Amino acid sequence: MVRKAVASEVPRARPGRPRRRYGVPLLFVAPATVLILLFFIIPVITTLGLSGTDLSTITFRQPKWVGMQNYETLFTDPFLSKILLNTARYVLLTLLFNVGMGLTLALLSTSVPTRFGNQVRALWLLPRILPSVVYVLIWQGMTREAPFGLVSDVLGVSRNWITAEPWTVIILANGLVGASFGMLIFTSAIRAIPGDLFYAAAVDGATTAQTVRRVVLPMLRWPILFVTAYQTLSLLTSFEYILLLTQGGPGFYTTTVWALHAYQLALSSYFGNVQFGLGAAMAGLLVVIGVVVSLLYLRVFNFRELVGEPKVEVN
Amino acid sequence: MTRKWLVLVWVIGLIAVMLPPAQAQRVVVIKAWTIGPDNPSVNRFNNVVTAAERLNKDLARENAGVQIKVEGFFDTTNWDQFLRRVLLGFQSPADAPDIVQGTHAVAPAWADGGFIIALDSYIPRYTQFNDVVPSLWNAMRYKGKTWAIPQDTEARPLYFNKALLKQLGWTDQQIAALPGRLANGDFTWDDVMATARDAVQKKVVEAGKGYYHRPVSGPDFLQWYRSFGGRDFDAATGKLVINKAALLRYYTWLRTGVEQGVIERDRLNNDWNRFHQPITDGKVLFWSGGTWQWAEWDREWVSRKGGEEWLFANFGYGPHPAHVKGGKAITMSQPQAYFVTAASKNKDLAVRLLAYTTVPDLDAKHAVGSAHLPILRTTARQVNHKFLKDVSYLLNYTSFQPPHPSLAEWQVAVYRGVSATESGQVTPAQAVDLVASEVQRTIRDQVIVE
Repeated sequence: MVRKAVASEVPRARPGRPRRRYGVPLLFVAPATVLILLFFIIPVITTLGLSGTDLSTITFRQPKWVGMQNYETLFTDPFLSKILLNTARYVLLTLLFNVGMGLTLALLSTSVPTRFGNQVRALWLLPRILPSVVYVLIWQGMTREAPFGLVSDVLGVSRNWITAEPWTVIILANGLVGASFGMLIFTSAIRAIPGDLFYAAAVDGATTAQTVRRVVLPMLRWPILFVTAYQTLSLLTSFEYILLLTQGGPGFYTTTVWALHAYQLALSSYFGNVQFGLGAAMAGLLVVIGVVVSLLYLRVFNFRELVGEPKVEVN
Repeated sequence: MTRKWLVLVWVIGLIAVMLPPAQAQRVVVIKAWTIGPDNPSVNRFNNVVTAAERLNKDLARENAGVQIKVEGFFDTTNWDQFLRRVLLGFQSPADAPDIVQGTHAVAPAWADGGFIIALDSYIPRYTQFNDVVPSLWNAMRYKGKTWAIPQDTEARPLYFNKALLKQLGWTDQQIAALPGRLANGDFTWDDVMATARDAVQKKVVEAGKGYYHRPVSGPDFLQWYRSFGGRDFDAATGKLVINKAALLRYYTWLRTGVEQGVIERDRLNNDWNRFHQPITDGKVLFWSGGTWQWAEWDREWVSRKGGEEWLFANFGYGPHPAHVKGGKAITMSQPQAYFVTAASKNKDLAVRLLAYTTVPDLDAKHAVGSAHLPILRTTARQVNHKFLKDVSYLLNYTSFQPPHPSLAEWQVAVYRGVSATESGQVTPAQAVDLVASEVQRTIRDQVIVE
């Protein structure tokens, strides 16, 4: 269908002259292609190239080609599985919290009068506009030992809750910020559902739960795909709250995720000898994981159907 | 008339511009990159600027035909960012700094990378350097060469709360004798533990506040490992060392402390406020700190209670104890240093500028302003500051971090072991094995596990 439309819009294109035939479409995809080349393909190639060298502070001037040695180092790390599991745990749990909370907030705040809904949503945006360091300071304050910490006071058990329950704190801290993103997208999507559908559901005698299940959620499939995919990828590479809250501890890699591990190896060293090559190898693997996960999402959410032509003409 | 004058002024001006100046002055820009990151250490940069003014006067007197101008910055963000910026700076032919200040422990990485030059041939040219406390030069050496000029130093004492010891029944004489007993090996880590346990049991301090150490990673953990008899560097082979027996002693001591209620299980909580607050509230019996923290407590924590006077009345300090009776007491210093870069086009002038920076008045200005210890013998004698005078003897017990480019990996592994042991994640013995395998994996053939 699409091809036919293009062909009919460019009537002078003759078969056998591919340059003209594809000229206009190429022109249209060119800006995006250039951006993807500049900000994805070239960095990926550079990273993969770097990952085959022993580049570090010491060898910064004359890095040597070491082939797969960095990958070997990575795969022989006894903590590798732990760090990968940590990453999966972090991404999955935070994502569930994020998307679930965002959806709940969107549903609740759109089912009350608009001015109340707007205020609630504005409140939820507050953590997002706070600098991460300040936001984490608030968490540190709340989770201190009694009599300084709110959590200790409420629970009646005096602990430093970041050390005692590092994962819970990390997921809550991340999820509460992340939820506002889903909330905004879902709200606008719910607003865009034609009112007729709700009237029709009401006429058919659907309960609120049924309306949400049969009308709202199916219409939100696209935004849910977008939010889930986007959040998964950004969570895979995000680590600033973990760095600020636990630095990947306590103990041996308890809360270290892949991206944090790469940062600590590749970009952070008090004594200056930083392993850029090893860090690049880790980043390279992260790219592979990211691409695989994205493809999986497109498959699960049936992307082709989502961007297919509508079966019903809605005006 | 006016016109005539104008023409005259114009002609004179033209001649003045066209004539070569009586003494051609070449202005050389010396770029100095420095870091605190604590604000009070700003004289690490300002002293270089002052030194340049003095050097310029001498250069003018010598008719050297050159004047210098210092450009650069004092960084107050953090080490990671500063070190990355410096690394990129080293590479830039146009913007490379001439002088970089950093901890002496970065010397191995920078020297191996070829970013800095050895200063052995320059140092004898300037008498100013003769006044530097001799042991500090050891910290500047790596592979037999001297790579930097000392900038400041500090010591890391074991502090104790005198008021709490009194409540525990100690007499004034006993308290006054404690620093001496710590120094001569009569009061050991086990005595620290026993005293702290006693204090917790008698409710003189709350549980967990018998002994405090820093809440985040840092060089201090190396010092404590050493005080338990650990060796971290093998001078003969130039390799790092992990001594499993000593590490086990240290971890066992920490774990015992947690189990007996002397040390908090969550002591490593990344929160410096939770370190300073209970200490300056007078609730902690023993703690390991740094001499520079004295200035912080004075200005930020006890200023309303009477400042330094309150500190002198309540806090005592000595070197860190040994682990056996009669053993060696210890503290550790991490001197800051000025490096001259390989990319500098004016190395001679840069070193001369550093010689003008290494003088007693500037040294004293920085030491007093930031509660670091002076690096010059003259300053140490002259400076009129009770605390600095009081703690300078600690330098007799001081040690430095070993010169090795993989020191960071060593430190990180040992620190993770402390964290895992204290939080009860693993037993001390398991932690030692984990640390040993970690250093072998990350430092490979550059570490000896014994």
